Parts: sequence; C-alpha cells; structure tokens
Amino acid sequence: MKRTVLAIAAAAALAVSGCAANANSNGGGKEDAGDTLVAAYSEGGKTLDPAEANDVTSDTFVVAAYDQLVTYGRTEVDGKPKAKTDEIVPMLAESWQASADITSYTFKLRAGAKFQNGSPVTADAVVKSFAHIKASSSASFLYKMAGIAKVTKVDEHTVKIDLTAPNHLFLQILPMYSFSIIDMDTVAKNGGAKWLATNTAGSGPYSITKWDPATEASMTRNDGYWGDKPKLRQVSVKFIAEASNRVQLLRKGEVGLALEVPPKDVQSLKSADGVVIDSRASNKILFFAMNNNIKPFDDPRVRQAVSYAIPYEKLLNDVMKGEASPMKSAVASSTPGFSDAGYTYKHDLDKARALLAEAGLSKGFSFDFTLGSGFDDWNDDAVLIQAELAKIGVTMNIKKMARPQFLEALETKKVQSYITRWTSFVNDPGYHLGLLLTSQGSSNYANFSDPVVDKAWQQAATEPDVAKRNKLYGEAQQSINTKSPWAYLYEYNIVVAHRAGIDGYTSYPDGIVRFVQLSGTTK
Amino acid sequence: MNLVLRRVAAMAPALIGVVVCIFVLTRVLPGDPARTLAGDQADPSVVAKIRTDMGLDQPLHVQLVRYFSDLLHGDLGFAWHTGHSVTSDFASRLPATIELALVALLIALLAGIPLGVISATRRDRPVDHAGRVFSLLGASMPLFWLGLMVIVVFYNQLGWAPAPLGRVAEGVNPPTHLTGLYVLDSLLTGDLVALRSSLSHIIWPALCLATGSTAIIARMTRSAMLEVIGQDYVRTAVSKGLKPSVVTLKHALRNAAPVIVTVSGLQFGQLMGGAVITETVFTWPGIGSYVVQSVLATDYAPVQAFTLLAAVVYLAANLVVDLVNARLDPRIADA
Repeated sequence: MKRTVLAIAAAAALAVSGCAANANSNGGGKEDAGDTLVAAYSEGGKTLDPAEANDVTSDTFVVAAYDQLVTYGRTEVDGKPKAKTDEIVPMLAESWQASADITSYTFKLRAGAKFQNGSPVTADAVVKSFAHIKASSSASFLYKMAGIAKVTKVDEHTVKIDLTAPNHLFLQILPMYSFSIIDMDTVAKNGGAKWLATNTAGSGPYSITKWDPATEASMTRNDGYWGDKPKLRQVSVKFIAEASNRVQLLRKGEVGLALEVPPKDVQSLKSADGVVIDSRASNKILFFAMNNNIKPFDDPRVRQAVSYAIPYEKLLNDVMKGEASPMKSAVASSTPGFSDAGYTYKHDLDKARALLAEAGLSKGFSFDFTLGSGFDDWNDDAVLIQAELAKIGVTMNIKKMARPQFLEALETKKVQSYITRWTSFVNDPGYHLGLLLTSQGSSNYANFSDPVVDKAWQQAATEPDVAKRNKLYGEAQQSINTKSPWAYLYEYNIVVAHRAGIDGYTSYPDGIVRFVQLSGTTK
Repeated sequence: MNLVLRRVAAMAPALIGVVVCIFVLTRVLPGDPARTLAGDQADPSVVAKIRTDMGLDQPLHVQLVRYFSDLLHGDLGFAWHTGHSVTSDFASRLPATIELALVALLIALLAGIPLGVISATRRDRPVDHAGRVFSLLGASMPLFWLGLMVIVVFYNQLGWAPAPLGRVAEGVNPPTHLTGLYVLDSLLTGDLVALRSSLSHIIWPALCLATGSTAIIARMTRSAMLEVIGQDYVRTAVSKGLKPSVVTLKHALRNAAPVIVTVSGLQFGQLMGGAVITETVFTWPGIGSYVVQSVLATDYAPVQAFTLLAAVVYLAANLVVDLVNARLDPRIADA
C-alpha cells in the first residue's frame, strides 16, 4: 500500500517536471566573472531613503544610487587614495558662486545629468529634494546645522540657496549622502516619500536591483551615467553577521571584499595568499568620558589623574593589535584643524597619584562606569583601565548595559563615566566640537562646559578665513585637552580587506566604500 | 473531529495571554527603539519625531489596543529596522526556517529512534555506552560552537561543505516558487541543479541543529523501550518463539511510540528556537537571524510576531502529538 502511494507520487513529480520549465533548466544563472564583485557586510541596512539612512550599509547603497550637488576631493597619501574633505569639488552642480556676504550660494547644474529613468536633473528636483531632507526624521538636523534658510529655483538649471548667516559648515555638509538629489516627480507618482525606503530614484552610478536586508543586495551599473563609467558592472553585497564567516569567505576567495574584520583576524589575514588589508587611520575615535557634573569628576585634577592612569600602550597593542593609533586631542588627528596643544598625558601612575593628592583624594575613590554592549574592544579596554586605576587606589565599578539601554542612559546626562566611540561624518572641528563639547551640544553627555570653548566655537562658525578659524578651533582644543573631560583612548583604523587585484578603494571619513571607484577582478 | 475543535478553541486564551505578556515585557524593558533607530549622532528632536512616527508617544493601553486591532486585521506591524512590514519579512524568511527545522527533525528521527532502539536492546553493551556518551555530548554541545566548528572543518579545511552563504550556491537560481521550501520545490519542478545545491546547503546547518534533538530522542526512545521490554506481553511474545526483530519492532516499539511522538513534537518547537543560533552562524536567511537583529535593534513588532508564532507552533505541535497519540492508543482519545 505504502509503496504504491510513493510510486504514484514519484510518477506525478516526474510528470510535472517533464513539461514544466524550471528556474535552472537553461543551466543555471552563471554569469561571466571579471567585472563583478561580491562584498561581505555585517548587516543589511534599514532604508534606501537618503534622508533617513544612518548606518553603513544603507549609506553605501545611497551613495551608489544617488549623486549630490558637490562632493569631496580626492588625494593620495602614501600612494593610497584618500578623500580630501576640505576640498569641495563639482558633482551635479558644475559650478557655484557665493554672494559677497557669503549668505547665499548659486549652483549651476550640469546640463547632461540624467536620473536613472532618463529624465533630466533639474532645478525643480533640487528644490524638492531639499524640501524632502528638511521634512525628514534623520537628516533634518543636518539641514539646520548647514544653516539653510531657503532654496529657490532661478532657472531650469540654476538653484539659489540662502543661509541664515555665514556658515562654513554649509559646503562641508552638502556632499553628505543625506543631501542626495532625488527625482521627486517619480517619488510623487509612486505615492510619496515612504516609497523611497525600499526604492531608489537617483542619478547615481549604480541602480539597486535587489535588496533583501536578510540576505543580499545587488547593484547594477547605470550605463547612462553622466560621469565616468563605473568599471564594475555588477556588485552583490552579502549580509553575513558572523565575522569569522566573512573572514573565511574572503580567505577562500568567495567574496572579494569584506568589512568589519576583527583586529585579531587582521593579523592572520595579512599573511593569507591573495588578500590585501587596507588598514588606515580614520576620524573614528574612542574616549573615556567623565561626567563633569558628578563628584569627584567635577574637579579637573581628578580627570587629569585618570588620564595619566590609562595604559595607552596596552590598549593599542593588546586590545587593538595595532589597528588603532594614539589619540591626542578631542578632535581626530586626520580632521583639518586638529591641534594637540595642551596634551601632556602618558601612562604615569606617580603623576596620577600626585594629582589625586592635590585634589584631596590621596586615599582614592570609587566610581561607577557604564559599559555599553556590542563592541568587544570596549570590554577589554574597561577591564585594563580598571586594573590600572586599582593601582592608585581608585575603584571602578563596571556596570554592563545592552546597547539600546546604554544610549538611553547617556541621554539623561547622569551617567558618571562611560566609553563611547564617535565618527564625525562632517570632517570638521566645528561639527565635531559643536555636538560633543560645547555647552549646548546635543551629544555632550558628560556635561563639559567651558566658556573658552563655547566662545571660540561661536566665533569660528561665522569666520570665513580658514587660518583664523583653525586658530580658534586650536584654542578650543587646547582648553579641552588641559581640562580633560575625556581621557582619550585611541583613533580606530578603518579596515577594508579585499582580494588582490581590486584597485581604487578610497578612504572616506564616513567609512563608506564607493563602489564606483573600484576596478579590477577578484583573484 | 470534535477533539480537534475543542483543542483549537482552547488555544485562544493561551495566545492572548502570550501576546499581552510579550507586549508588556518589551515595553517595560529599558531601551528606546526610537533612540536606537536614530543612531548615536541624532539630535533629540530627531528621536522625538521618530517616536511619534512609531506611535510610542501614546499611552501603553492605547498601544496595546491598537496592536490587537491590527492583529485582528492580519497586520503584524512594521519592522523599523528593515523598512518592511513584518508580514512581508516573515513571508520571505519563514519557509527557510521551516525547511531547516523539518530537515533537522527528519535527521533527528532517522538517527535518534534507531539509536535508542539499539541501545535498549543491547543494554550495557559497548553500543549502549557509546550511545549514552553521544547523547550526553549532543545534548550539552553549545550550538554556536558546533556550527562554527563545522564551518571551519568542513568548509574551510576539507572543502566538503559549500560556503555558508544562503540556501543555494552563487550563480544557481532558487527553484520556481511553489511552497518556498527549496528542496521540495526543486523536486516538484525537477530542477536537479537547484536540488543538488539546496541539499548541499541545508545538510550542514540541519545536522548541527539536529544534534541536540537526536540525542534527546535517542535517550527517550531508549528508556521507553526498556520500560516496554520488561513487560509481560513482550516476554510472552518472546516465549511464543517470535523473531527478536518482530518482537522489538512490532510489539515493543509500537507500545513505546506515544512517548517518542511526544518528545518529537516538543523537539520540533525546540528546533524552531535553535534555528535562531544556527541561522546566525550559517547566514541562513530565515526567521531566526531576523529576530536576533530585531532584538538588537529593539524593534518590537518582529519580536512580538515571532513570540506569537512560536506559541502557535508549540500549540500546534502539541495538538498534532495528541492526535497522533490518540490514533496510536485509543485510551488517550477517551480520556
């Protein structure tokens, strides 16, 4: 009985398959290798809407599918291409002019530029795109920070942007992916801004042909691109959460490029055949913040003492395995305007003890340290710092917290001490200090408040002369470095591991890979 | 039939309880999803705006009522971290998880039951001891470690396993969509390319996932068999001169079956849960890795939907177990 049922089922299956064409009946979808690349990312991204994207994967797709009015220049450092963020070069705008009082800019749009559906990039599209950014959840604060008052169409290919006041951050912020120019007519036809979360309407070098945040995404070259033709015809991005899997796949050549390689694997990959490790200084920093409103950290001498007790060498070598560099100011050393004036700290426990004695704490003290989850190096750093502080009689109570709770706790501004990392996508001290260390800074969770810094920052914001501006930022940094609201731990390297034969990777402060710049084949 | 209806009706209060519990739990726990979604550089005004969009500014009971009304309309909510509705995310991922759990259950049954039977009939002989060691190891092996080891040894060193990347190899098209289960779909469409590729991809994670269940099913089969083998009717059957294999399989195993069915049913629920880890390790595009990401992102809706689904799966597995046992032993149906 059972056998007959099985036989009938098998016969039926064969009968069905005999006539129906299947997905692989033409021998599978094998494509020519050569101008294709497979990249491994840790997660799949949240949205394709340029104004809402704020994670590496989402930003990567936005940068591939959209253009902005202007972009950052490129330069070479040690023979490797790198973004030059203080040089703003044309993109969709072929030229621009500032008014005499630098409160308005007029952009002339490139005539031949087209959106991916063939319609031209017009002044209307720019005006509507800026309205979309202004109304967004994520990018609206950048819009405010850029000081944009009004965006108007002058003629079909000319746009005028009025500012509320002179603002040197304006041109710095404009190249960000958030300020992508969107074909808003297509968006309107498809029912509005929500459609942008899963679809693209840009003029960029690639179109996103598939995006499933659970598994993978594909990008296909936009053959009608107005700029230099991208060399890679097809890029597929696989989302692989497990870091060890990304490393093994790269090692075996199954993927051509991998992001977020843990420091311990970087060492082993360096000796692997056919793998190139591109590890470069970035402006991503890690710092140990001490809440200036909570005793005993309201006394600068106590904060300085902690800064002298940090085992800097151990953090760089044992935790980061050399994939980080020393941090010597609140501003990253690769940011234009960086100054390490006032920085005197090195690992020196005697000096730390003396400072504590001076502050009347020769017997030491005990404090709470909040450790947010999610990053292995933070955990190791905290334990090493705890051990060093114990040597000068200071007890550090580590309280662990899941990342969402950690972010929420920081916002109360009542966390006594913590470590956190920060990347200023706008690579400018004005943006960086404004958010983190001015009295009004929305991310100043350690309550640092210093009249010298506030005044210098305000003056610099409207100062058009770069040299004068950097002098003001230098003064601010010197004051911060001396008063030490944070102990500086290190500057991360951005590590991109790829197969030999892939060229053109350019390092940007946002850490996003521009696939349009890559060429070559996986080997 | 009456039994089935009664049992299904009895599920409703349990499900409502689960929904309310998980709803309250996710909201009571610290951690603001709007904050996480906004990213660490976002301005407080940005966070407030997202909170309003997500409806989190409403009082808890209003949110709960809205959630129930959405559920009744078949709307599982919106997954903020993927930008899709939970329903569409589930639809694209659930088949992968079900297929993985089914294959793992199949492996666990095919390996566990014979192992248990052999152990019981050769009690205290080397085979039995080996079986016990395996059960102990299998039941106590951390899944993520086992998974990583399998990848390192069989993919990286030996090259037997395919790259832990999805359900079919790069360059192979998934089979024509019928059920979403790749192995079944490729069989039904006679797609040998997809069949070979999907089998070679599913076998490794399924083996890992099945290890714990195999061990438990083997253990339970063994003890159920031992209990039955000691009974009078088995001794009678042996003394009648029946062949040992007939005694074991027809008399003993049949009577031990209810226990085995019960354990297997519970194990299926376990397998759906274990898939969370296996899927993450093997980059298997199922519901498990999706829920892990949702938890990390404090994305409420997918977590709630998954809990609801897990409850449904457990209740359904229990129901099936009871029905099968009722068939095997009519006394159960009357009870």
